[in-house]
Amino acid sequence: MFALARRANPAPLPVSQLERALTVTGHLETEGEVHIHGTIRGRIDADRLIVAADGTVEGDIVANDVRIAGRMNGRIFALSVTLDPTAKVAARIFHNSVTIANGARFEGRMPWRPPQYFASLAQLPETQP
Amino acid sequence: MTIFNRNPLDLNPQGRPAMPDATPTYADAKRPQPVSTTPIAGAPMTTSVISKALKVTGQLESTENIQIDGEVEGDVRGVCVKVGQGAKVKGTVSGEEVELAGTVDGKIEAKKVLLTGTAHMSGDVVHQDIRIESGAFIDGHCRPEAGKAKPVQAAFKPVAIEKSV
Repeated sequence: MFALARRANPAPLPVSQLERALTVTGHLETEGEVHIHGTIRGRIDADRLIVAADGTVEGDIVANDVRIAGRMNGRIFALSVTLDPTAKVAARIFHNSVTIANGARFEGRMPWRPPQYFASLAQLPETQP
Repeated sequence: MTIFNRNPLDLNPQGRPAMPDATPTYADAKRPQPVSTTPIAGAPMTTSVISKALKVTGQLESTENIQIDGEVEGDVRGVCVKVGQGAKVKGTVSGEEVELAGTVDGKIEAKKVLLTGTAHMSGDVVHQDIRIESGAFIDGHCRPEAGKAKPVQAAFKPVAIEKSV
C-alpha cells in the first residue's frame, strides 16, 4: 500500500514546489516529490519530502525519504530521515535509518522500526510508545 | 637600547597587540546560515506548483502565485492562480487573476478570469473582466461584480511557532 510498493515505479514524477508565501491546511498526497518552503498544517504523504530551511510543517509526515532543514512539529514516519544543520524539529521520528547533522535541533523520541512497519502504514497508529 | 628588547607584535600603529580580526566564534560555527530561497523584498513573485501527482485536501492560501496541475479538494486563494490542463479543483478559486485550463467544480472569484479552450467550469464565475476561449465548457452563471471581487488578503501572517524546540 505505502512506501515500499512505490519504489517499484521508477518513472520520475514532477516535483511539487510549495513556496514561502503558500499556506496549506489539510492533507497532501503524492507519489512523487514535494519541496516545502511554505507552511503546511496537516498530513503529508509522499515518496520523497524536503522541508527547506524556510519551510514549516505541523502534523504528520509519511514518506520514504524525508529531509528537513526547516521547522517540524508532529510525527515523522519514514524509512530514511535526515535532519540538516538548520533543522528545528520537535517530533517523534519513526524511522528505519536516521541522520542528524551537527547543529540540528531535535527534541523527541526516535524509535527504530523495521521496514515492514512502513510498508503497511496506511493508517497512522494513534498510540505511540 | 630598550627598543631592541620589545616584542615586534606590540609595535602596530594603535600601540596594541595585533589580533587576528576574524576569529570564528562558537556561535558562528553552530549557526550555519540558512541556504537560499529567502525572498528579497521587491523580488519577483514566486509560483507554488502543485504538480500533477499531488492531491491536496484542504485549503491553499498564498500571497503569491499558485499553479495547480494536480487535484485540489478545497479552497484556493492566491494572486495569480493557474489551473492547468488536466488539473481538478473542487471548491472556490479566488484571486486577482484566474486562468483555467482544467476542471473546476465550485466557484471562481477573480478580477480577471480566463477560461481557455480546455476549461471545464461547473459553477458560478464572479468576475470583473472575463475572457472565454472557444471550446470552454461552462455550467453556471457568469456574474460581473464591479469592485466586489475579493482582494487577496493583504495581511499574511507568518506562522509563529510557540514551542521552543
